[in-house]
Amino acid sequence: MLLLVWAPKAWHRLSHLKPSALLWTPRGKARHVRCRLLSSQGPGERGRQSRPQGPGLRTRLLITALFGAGLGGAWLAARAEKEQRRQQQRTEALRQAAVGQGDFSLLDHRGQARCKADFRGQWVLMYFGFTHCPDICPDELEKLVQVVQQLEAEPGLPPVQPVFITVDPERDTVAAMARYVQDFHPRLLGLTGSAEQVAQVSRSYRVYYSAGPKDEDQDYIVDHSIAIYLLDPDGLFTDYYSRARSAEQIADSVRRHMAAFRSVL
Amino acid sequence: MAAPSMKERQACWGARDEYWKCLDENPEDASPCKKLRNSFESSCPQQWIKYFDKRRDYLKFKEKFEAGQFQPSKPATQS
Repeated sequence: MLLLVWAPKAWHRLSHLKPSALLWTPRGKARHVRCRLLSSQGPGERGRQSRPQGPGLRTRLLITALFGAGLGGAWLAARAEKEQRRQQQRTEALRQAAVGQGDFSLLDHRGQARCKADFRGQWVLMYFGFTHCPDICPDELEKLVQVVQQLEAEPGLPPVQPVFITVDPERDTVAAMARYVQDFHPRLLGLTGSAEQVAQVSRSYRVYYSAGPKDEDQDYIVDHSIAIYLLDPDGLFTDYYSRARSAEQIADSVRRHMAAFRSVL
Repeated sequence: MAAPSMKERQACWGARDEYWKCLDENPEDASPCKKLRNSFESSCPQQWIKYFDKRRDYLKFKEKFEAGQFQPSKPATQS
Protein backbone atom coordinates (compact mmCIF):
# COMPACT_ATOMS: atom_id res chain seq x y z
CA MET A 1 0.00 0.00 0.00
CA LEU A 2 2.74 2.39 0.96
CA LEU A 3 4.50 1.76 -2.30
CA LEU A 4 1.44 2.84 -4.16
CA VAL A 5 1.58 6.05 -2.17
CA TRP A 6 5.20 6.92 -3.04
CA ALA A 7 4.90 5.87 -6.59
CA PRO A 8 3.06 9.06 -7.64
CA LYS A 9 5.64 10.97 -5.63
CA ALA A 10 8.39 9.46 -7.72
CA TRP A 11 6.44 10.36 -10.81
CA HIS A 12 6.20 13.87 -9.56
CA ARG A 13 9.97 14.01 -9.25
CA LEU A 14 10.45 12.46 -12.61
CA SER A 15 8.23 15.04 -14.19
CA HIS A 16 10.70 17.70 -13.12
CA LEU A 17 13.12 16.26 -15.57
CA LYS A 18 12.37 17.95 -18.86
CA PRO A 19 12.09 15.41 -21.67
CA SER A 20 14.16 17.68 -23.88
CA ALA A 21 17.02 17.55 -21.41
CA LEU A 22 16.92 13.78 -21.51
CA LEU A 23 16.54 13.57 -25.28
CA TRP A 24 20.18 13.45 -26.08
CA THR A 25 21.15 11.47 -23.00
CA PRO A 26 22.36 8.01 -23.79
CA ARG A 27 19.98 5.40 -22.52
CA GLY A 28 22.35 4.05 -19.88
CA LYS A 29 22.82 7.44 -18.32
CA ALA A 30 19.10 8.10 -18.24
CA ARG A 31 18.54 4.84 -16.46
CA HIS A 32 21.24 5.73 -13.99
CA VAL A 33 19.47 8.98 -13.16
CA ARG A 34 16.26 7.06 -12.74
CA CYS A 35 17.84 4.54 -10.37
CA ARG A 36 19.26 7.27 -8.20
CA LEU A 37 15.92 9.00 -8.09
CA LEU A 38 14.16 5.85 -7.01
CA SER A 39 16.69 4.85 -4.39
CA SER A 40 17.38 8.18 -2.75
CA GLN A 41 14.15 8.80 -1.00
CA GLY A 42 13.79 11.16 1.97
CA PRO A 43 15.03 10.08 5.42
CA GLY A 44 11.52 9.22 6.58
CA GLU A 45 11.09 6.74 3.80
CA ARG A 46 14.27 4.82 4.58
CA GLY A 47 12.38 2.26 6.63
CA ARG A 48 10.69 0.96 3.53
CA GLN A 49 13.98 -0.14 2.08
CA SER A 50 13.98 -3.16 4.40
CA ARG A 51 10.48 -4.23 3.38
CA PRO A 52 9.97 -7.07 0.89
CA GLN A 53 11.08 -5.97 -2.57
CA GLY A 54 8.45 -7.86 -4.70
CA PRO A 55 5.85 -5.15 -5.39
CA GLY A 56 8.56 -2.49 -5.30
CA LEU A 57 10.36 -4.14 -8.15
CA ARG A 58 7.15 -4.39 -10.13
CA THR A 59 6.45 -0.72 -9.64
CA ARG A 60 9.97 0.19 -10.55
CA LEU A 61 9.69 -1.88 -13.65
CA LEU A 62 6.40 -0.19 -14.46
CA ILE A 63 7.87 3.27 -13.96
CA THR A 64 10.92 2.35 -15.97
CA ALA A 65 8.70 1.05 -18.76
CA LEU A 66 6.49 4.14 -18.71
CA PHE A 67 9.48 6.39 -18.57
CA GLY A 68 11.13 4.55 -21.44
CA ALA A 69 7.93 4.76 -23.45
CA GLY A 70 7.70 8.48 -22.77
CA LEU A 71 11.29 8.97 -23.77
CA GLY A 72 10.79 6.93 -26.94
CA GLY A 73 7.64 8.87 -27.74
CA ALA A 74 9.41 12.18 -27.28
CA TRP A 75 12.25 11.00 -29.50
CA LEU A 76 9.81 9.89 -32.21
CA ALA A 77 7.93 13.19 -31.99
CA ALA A 78 11.16 15.16 -32.25
CA ARG A 79 12.25 13.07 -35.21
CA ALA A 80 8.90 13.55 -36.98
CA GLU A 81 9.08 17.28 -36.36
CA LYS A 82 12.61 17.44 -37.73
CA GLU A 83 11.59 15.47 -40.81
CA GLN A 84 8.61 17.78 -41.36
CA ARG A 85 10.85 20.84 -41.06
CA ARG A 86 13.29 19.33 -43.56
CA GLN A 87 10.41 18.66 -45.98
CA GLN A 88 9.17 22.24 -45.64
CA GLN A 89 12.65 23.61 -46.32
CA ARG A 90 12.99 21.35 -49.34
CA THR A 91 9.60 22.40 -50.72
CA GLU A 92 10.54 26.04 -50.22
CA ALA A 93 13.90 25.56 -51.94
CA LEU A 94 12.23 23.77 -54.85
CA ARG A 95 9.62 26.49 -55.11
CA GLN A 96 12.32 29.13 -55.34
CA ALA A 97 14.20 27.15 -57.97
CA ALA A 98 11.06 26.31 -60.00
CA VAL A 99 11.09 27.12 -63.70
CA GLY A 100 8.46 29.53 -64.97
CA GLN A 101 7.34 31.17 -61.75
CA GLY A 102 5.49 34.42 -61.73
CA ASP A 103 3.72 36.11 -64.56
CA PHE A 104 5.01 37.68 -67.74
CA SER A 105 3.75 40.63 -69.69
CA LEU A 106 4.55 40.68 -73.42
CA LEU A 107 3.09 41.71 -76.78
CA ASP A 108 2.14 39.15 -79.38
CA HIS A 109 2.97 39.59 -83.08
CA ARG A 110 -0.42 41.26 -83.62
CA GLY A 111 0.37 43.87 -80.98
CA GLN A 112 -1.96 42.38 -78.35
CA ALA A 113 -0.89 42.24 -74.69
CA ARG A 114 -0.30 38.69 -73.44
CA CYS A 115 0.30 37.38 -69.97
CA LYS A 116 0.75 33.88 -68.63
CA ALA A 117 -2.89 33.52 -67.58
CA ASP A 118 -3.95 33.93 -71.25
CA PHE A 119 -2.56 30.46 -71.92
CA ARG A 120 -4.51 28.73 -69.13
CA GLY A 121 -6.33 25.69 -70.33
CA GLN A 122 -3.98 25.04 -73.24
CA TRP A 123 -0.86 23.00 -73.63
CA VAL A 124 1.98 25.28 -74.68
CA LEU A 125 5.24 24.50 -76.47
CA MET A 126 7.57 27.43 -75.99
CA TYR A 127 10.87 28.34 -77.57
CA PHE A 128 13.20 31.30 -76.96
CA GLY A 129 15.25 32.68 -79.87
CA PHE A 130 15.63 35.65 -82.22
CA THR A 131 14.63 36.38 -85.79
CA HIS A 132 18.19 37.07 -87.05
CA CYS A 133 19.26 33.64 -85.86
CA PRO A 134 21.38 31.90 -88.54
CA ASP A 135 20.38 28.25 -88.16
CA ILE A 136 19.51 26.89 -84.74
CA CYS A 137 16.34 28.88 -84.05
CA PRO A 138 14.74 28.17 -87.44
CA ASP A 139 15.65 24.47 -87.04
CA GLU A 140 14.19 24.30 -83.56
CA LEU A 141 11.05 26.21 -84.53
CA GLU A 142 10.63 23.91 -87.52
CA LYS A 143 10.86 20.95 -85.14
CA LEU A 144 8.42 22.53 -82.70
CA VAL A 145 5.94 23.08 -85.52
CA GLN A 146 6.33 19.46 -86.66
CA VAL A 147 5.43 18.32 -83.15
CA VAL A 148 2.34 20.55 -83.17
CA GLN A 149 1.32 19.24 -86.60
CA GLN A 150 1.75 15.62 -85.53
CA LEU A 151 -0.39 16.17 -82.44
CA GLU A 152 -2.98 18.21 -84.37
CA ALA A 153 -3.45 15.32 -86.76
CA GLU A 154 -4.56 13.02 -83.93
CA PRO A 155 -8.23 13.35 -83.05
CA GLY A 156 -9.03 13.46 -79.34
CA LEU A 157 -5.85 15.22 -78.30
CA PRO A 158 -6.13 18.72 -76.86
CA PRO A 159 -4.66 21.48 -79.04
CA VAL A 160 -1.12 22.68 -78.43
CA GLN A 161 -0.24 26.35 -78.70
CA PRO A 162 3.20 27.00 -80.23
CA VAL A 163 4.91 30.10 -78.81
CA PHE A 164 8.12 31.83 -79.85
CA ILE A 165 9.60 34.37 -77.41
CA THR A 166 12.37 36.65 -78.59
CA VAL A 167 15.58 37.26 -76.66
CA ASP A 168 16.43 40.17 -78.98
CA PRO A 169 13.86 42.86 -78.09
CA GLU A 170 16.03 45.55 -79.71
CA ARG A 171 15.39 44.29 -83.24
CA ASP A 172 12.42 41.96 -82.83
CA THR A 173 9.57 44.42 -82.88
CA VAL A 174 5.94 43.36 -83.25
CA ALA A 175 6.24 43.80 -87.03
CA ALA A 176 9.49 41.80 -87.22
CA MET A 177 7.90 38.99 -85.21
CA ALA A 178 4.80 39.01 -87.45
CA ARG A 179 6.98 38.65 -90.54
CA TYR A 180 9.00 35.87 -88.95
CA VAL A 181 6.34 33.61 -87.44
CA GLN A 182 4.16 33.45 -90.57
CA ASP A 183 6.82 31.28 -92.26
CA PHE A 184 6.40 28.51 -89.70
CA HIS A 185 2.83 27.86 -88.61
CA PRO A 186 -0.44 29.82 -88.83
CA ARG A 187 -0.96 29.47 -85.08
CA LEU A 188 2.63 30.16 -84.02
CA LEU A 189 2.49 33.10 -81.62
CA GLY A 190 5.47 35.46 -81.51
CA LEU A 191 6.00 37.31 -78.23
CA THR A 192 8.17 40.36 -77.70
CA GLY A 193 8.38 43.28 -75.29
CA SER A 194 10.66 45.83 -73.73
CA ALA A 195 14.19 44.85 -72.73
CA GLU A 196 12.99 44.54 -69.11
CA GLN A 197 9.95 42.42 -69.99
CA VAL A 198 12.07 40.06 -72.07
CA ALA A 199 14.69 39.89 -69.30
CA GLN A 200 11.98 39.02 -66.81
CA VAL A 201 10.40 36.20 -68.80
CA SER A 202 13.83 34.79 -69.70
CA ARG A 203 14.90 34.83 -66.07
CA SER A 204 11.70 33.14 -65.06
CA TYR A 205 12.32 30.29 -67.55
CA ARG A 206 16.05 30.17 -66.78
CA VAL A 207 16.96 31.20 -70.31
CA TYR A 208 20.39 32.76 -70.72
CA TYR A 209 21.02 35.19 -73.58
CA SER A 210 23.77 37.59 -74.49
CA ALA A 211 24.05 39.76 -77.60
CA GLY A 212 27.38 39.57 -79.39
CA PRO A 213 29.38 42.50 -80.81
CA LYS A 214 27.80 44.52 -83.64
CA ASP A 215 29.45 44.56 -87.07
CA GLU A 216 29.48 47.49 -89.52
CA ASP A 217 25.91 46.59 -90.64
CA GLN A 218 24.82 46.85 -86.98
CA ASP A 219 24.12 43.13 -87.23
CA TYR A 220 24.85 40.80 -84.33
CA ILE A 221 24.24 37.28 -83.12
CA VAL A 222 22.54 36.59 -79.81
CA ASP A 223 23.94 33.66 -77.90
CA HIS A 224 21.18 31.94 -75.91
CA SER A 225 20.12 28.70 -74.27
CA ILE A 226 18.31 26.28 -76.54
CA ALA A 227 15.36 24.40 -75.11
CA ILE A 228 11.74 23.78 -75.97
CA TYR A 229 9.48 24.04 -72.91
CA LEU A 230 6.22 22.24 -72.36
CA LEU A 231 3.64 23.96 -70.14
CA ASP A 232 0.51 22.15 -69.01
CA PRO A 233 -3.01 23.69 -69.06
CA ASP A 234 -2.43 24.94 -65.49
CA GLY A 235 0.44 26.99 -66.90
CA LEU A 236 3.00 24.95 -64.98
CA PHE A 237 6.36 24.00 -66.43
CA THR A 238 6.06 20.30 -67.24
CA ASP A 239 9.05 19.26 -69.33
CA TYR A 240 11.78 20.59 -71.58
CA TYR A 241 13.45 19.22 -74.69
CA SER A 242 17.03 19.82 -75.70
CA ARG A 243 18.29 20.13 -79.24
CA ALA A 244 19.12 16.43 -79.40
CA ARG A 245 15.46 15.38 -79.14
CA SER A 246 13.65 14.67 -82.41
CA ALA A 247 10.12 15.86 -83.23
CA GLU A 248 8.87 12.26 -82.75
CA GLN A 249 10.46 11.96 -79.33
CA ILE A 250 8.98 15.26 -78.22
CA ALA A 251 5.52 14.36 -79.56
CA ASP A 252 5.67 11.03 -77.66
CA SER A 253 6.62 12.81 -74.47
CA VAL A 254 3.84 15.39 -74.88
CA ARG A 255 1.30 12.59 -75.45
CA ARG A 256 2.44 10.89 -72.23
CA HIS A 257 2.14 14.13 -70.27
CA MET A 258 -1.33 14.70 -71.70
CA ALA A 259 -2.44 11.22 -70.66
CA ALA A 260 -1.09 11.68 -67.12
CA PHE A 261 -2.36 15.23 -66.64
CA ARG A 262 -4.63 16.08 -63.70
CA SER A 263 -5.33 19.74 -63.06
CA VAL A 264 -4.21 20.99 -59.66
CA LEU A 265 -6.02 24.31 -59.93
CA MET B 1 17.93 45.63 -91.09
CA ALA B 2 15.16 43.09 -91.39
CA ALA B 3 15.89 39.44 -90.62
CA PRO B 4 16.21 37.21 -93.70
CA SER B 5 12.94 35.64 -94.79
CA MET B 6 12.52 31.89 -95.03
CA LYS B 7 13.34 32.05 -98.76
CA GLU B 8 16.51 34.04 -98.09
CA ARG B 9 17.49 31.69 -95.30
CA GLN B 10 17.09 28.69 -97.56
CA ALA B 11 19.12 30.34 -100.33
CA CYS B 12 21.88 31.08 -97.81
CA TRP B 13 21.91 27.57 -96.39
CA GLY B 14 21.97 26.10 -99.90
CA ALA B 15 24.97 28.22 -100.90
CA ARG B 16 26.69 27.33 -97.61
CA ASP B 17 26.14 23.60 -98.10
CA GLU B 18 27.57 23.69 -101.62
CA TYR B 19 30.60 25.61 -100.44
CA TRP B 20 31.14 23.23 -97.51
CA LYS B 21 30.78 20.22 -99.81
CA CYS B 22 33.46 21.67 -102.07
CA LEU B 23 35.74 22.21 -99.07
CA ASP B 24 35.22 18.59 -98.04
CA GLU B 25 36.11 17.40 -101.55
CA ASN B 26 39.21 19.59 -101.70
CA PRO B 27 40.69 19.37 -98.25
CA GLU B 28 44.20 20.36 -99.39
CA ASP B 29 43.44 23.35 -101.58
CA ALA B 30 40.33 25.54 -101.31
CA SER B 31 41.01 27.46 -104.55
CA PRO B 32 38.46 25.50 -106.68
CA CYS B 33 35.81 26.63 -104.17
CA LYS B 34 36.41 30.32 -104.67
CA LYS B 35 33.33 30.79 -106.83
CA LEU B 36 31.16 28.94 -104.33
CA ARG B 37 32.63 31.05 -101.56
CA ASN B 38 31.58 34.19 -103.46
CA SER B 39 28.09 32.80 -103.96
CA PHE B 40 27.91 31.90 -100.24
CA GLU B 41 29.02 35.42 -99.28
CA SER B 42 26.47 37.08 -101.54
CA SER B 43 23.60 34.85 -100.30
CA CYS B 44 24.08 35.33 -96.56
CA PRO B 45 24.31 38.29 -94.19
CA GLN B 46 27.91 39.05 -93.26
CA GLN B 47 27.32 38.16 -89.63
CA TRP B 48 26.05 34.74 -90.64
CA ILE B 49 29.13 34.09 -92.79
CA LYS B 50 31.37 34.68 -89.77
CA TYR B 51 29.10 32.48 -87.72
CA PHE B 52 29.02 29.65 -90.28
CA ASP B 53 32.83 29.78 -90.77
CA LYS B 54 33.28 29.31 -87.04
CA ARG B 55 30.57 26.70 -86.96
CA ARG B 56 32.32 24.65 -89.65
CA ASP B 57 35.56 24.73 -87.67
CA TYR B 58 33.66 23.58 -84.63
CA LEU B 59 31.84 20.79 -86.47
CA LYS B 60 35.11 19.56 -87.99
CA PHE B 61 36.74 19.56 -84.58
CA LYS B 62 33.75 17.73 -83.12
CA GLU B 63 33.94 15.08 -85.84
CA LYS B 64 37.62 14.55 -85.20
CA PHE B 65 37.15 14.54 -81.46
CA GLU B 66 34.31 12.01 -81.59
CA ALA B 67 36.35 9.78 -83.89
CA GLY B 68 39.08 9.83 -81.24
CA GLN B 69 41.62 11.42 -83.57
CA PHE B 70 42.04 14.59 -81.59
CA GLN B 71 45.37 14.92 -79.81
CA PRO B 72 45.61 17.75 -77.34
CA SER B 73 48.75 19.78 -78.00
CA LYS B 74 51.45 18.87 -75.51
CA PRO B 75 52.85 21.59 -73.32
CA ALA B 76 56.28 22.79 -74.50
CA THR B 77 59.01 20.73 -72.92
CA GLN B 78 61.12 22.62 -70.48
CA SER B 79 64.81 22.92 -71.19
